[in-house]
Amino acid sequence: MENEGKIRVRICLGTTCFVMGASKLQELEHLMPPEWKDKVDISADTCLGMCQNSNSGFMKAPFVKINDEMIGGATVEKVIDKLKELIV
Amino acid sequence: MIGDDDTLFIDIGCSQQKKYNQNTYGDFYISKRYPEERRLIAVLSDGLGSGIKANILAEMTATMILKFVAAERNLMKAAEIVMNSLPVCQVRKISYATFSVADCSETGLVKIVEEGNPEFLHIRNGRVIPEEPKIIVSKKFPNRFMRTYTIQMDIDDRLLFCSDGVTQSGLGGPIYKLGWRREGLIDFVEKRFDAVPDISCRQLAQEVVVEAQTKEPERQAKDDISCMVLHWRQPRSLLVFTGPPYYADRDAEYANLFINYQGRKAICGGTTANLVSRELNRPITTEMFAKGSLPANSYMEGVDLITEGVLTLSKAVEYLEDAPQEMPDDAAGKLVTLFLDSDCITFMVGAKVNQAHFDPDLPLELELRKNVVKRMEKILTQKYLKQVSLHFI
Repeated sequence: MENEGKIRVRICLGTTCFVMGASKLQELEHLMPPEWKDKVDISADTCLGMCQNSNSGFMKAPFVKINDEMIGGATVEKVIDKLKELIV
Repeated sequence: MIGDDDTLFIDIGCSQQKKYNQNTYGDFYISKRYPEERRLIAVLSDGLGSGIKANILAEMTATMILKFVAAERNLMKAAEIVMNSLPVCQVRKISYATFSVADCSETGLVKIVEEGNPEFLHIRNGRVIPEEPKIIVSKKFPNRFMRTYTIQMDIDDRLLFCSDGVTQSGLGGPIYKLGWRREGLIDFVEKRFDAVPDISCRQLAQEVVVEAQTKEPERQAKDDISCMVLHWRQPRSLLVFTGPPYYADRDAEYANLFINYQGRKAICGGTTANLVSRELNRPITTEMFAKGSLPANSYMEGVDLITEGVLTLSKAVEYLEDAPQEMPDDAAGKLVTLFLDSDCITFMVGAKVNQAHFDPDLPLELELRKNVVKRMEKILTQKYLKQVSLHFI
């Protein structure tokens, strides 16, 4: 598998996430250090279903899922920081 | 119920050519759809003479017949009254205007009345088939009569109406001493169907008019030439699934209804797409980059288009209202293109509301899906003459 062993980043592009800033997250691939490209697999998702889930606690849209961890209020910086933890 | 509709769609196409050296048409055609009655009325009238006078006579006759037939359930009776009341030219002692009227139902039943115009052609499987008229003679004018027909159309049957400018084209010339005539027209039409079996109404009407004109010496029409074609065809249908059903335990039922629909299919909404994907076990792939101001499309086997929900629907309404010359290359543009390529559009609108869409922290106000779809229905019906049905689930 081409993406095996890579860190999986899934960006929610549902309505709520999109208007709350996911549109900017789509640039992630170009904003992260180029040497990460082989280590990170970025894809979009029609909806991660988090905004309709009252159990999402204090987390807010936009949502990004990095491997199995859900990140709320995601920004490019927040996602890059998380990836840094996992890569370095 | 969704997908159970067995009615046909009636397509119509017309074409005309003016008499040489005239500045307006002396023939007039008009048609109108009555969606509630699943009915279409089409009229072709040929005014006496040519130019402005003929134009006014034909337009008045056609418009009056259309309104009268629409109001009066009995076409034969309505046509007889019109025939008896049409005036006669003082000089020539003939009718001011002739007419053909077709009162068409989407079930395929059609009633036709002709007064003075050439007999129509009924085309089935590319061949003209004969139809026997019932003749009704005017009580008031002994030389005036109408031909009436009641016909059941099959799927892909066509009707072709024309003014005498078509059948009499070339009349008196060196080749067509008696004109192109009905036989010539039938021969031409059958050959066109051999070459292009699925020829559109508009195309066929245009070709007949052009061909009739070429029969005239120096292509100068001696009379107004008009052709009108009607086609009963399988509607190009589209089902749009937007929003999850109110009762989640019916997800599977609606997902199956959606995928088994005979026609094109679109999903507008991330949650809805996930629901269909989950119930049918078909994976979704999503394009990474937004086009314009909207999230990009997603893909699933067996579905023609997948978009985000309310933002895309709102933008599509905007495009339908503004009707841009070139449709933008975003998800809403693709959805509108799909609408315009369909005759019958069904919306399956889930009543479940996503609370997060009403979060006061959202930077813009999201409309209720139900309201957007209702606006869409209105504009598709009124401006684009589509057949639209809404099902709230």
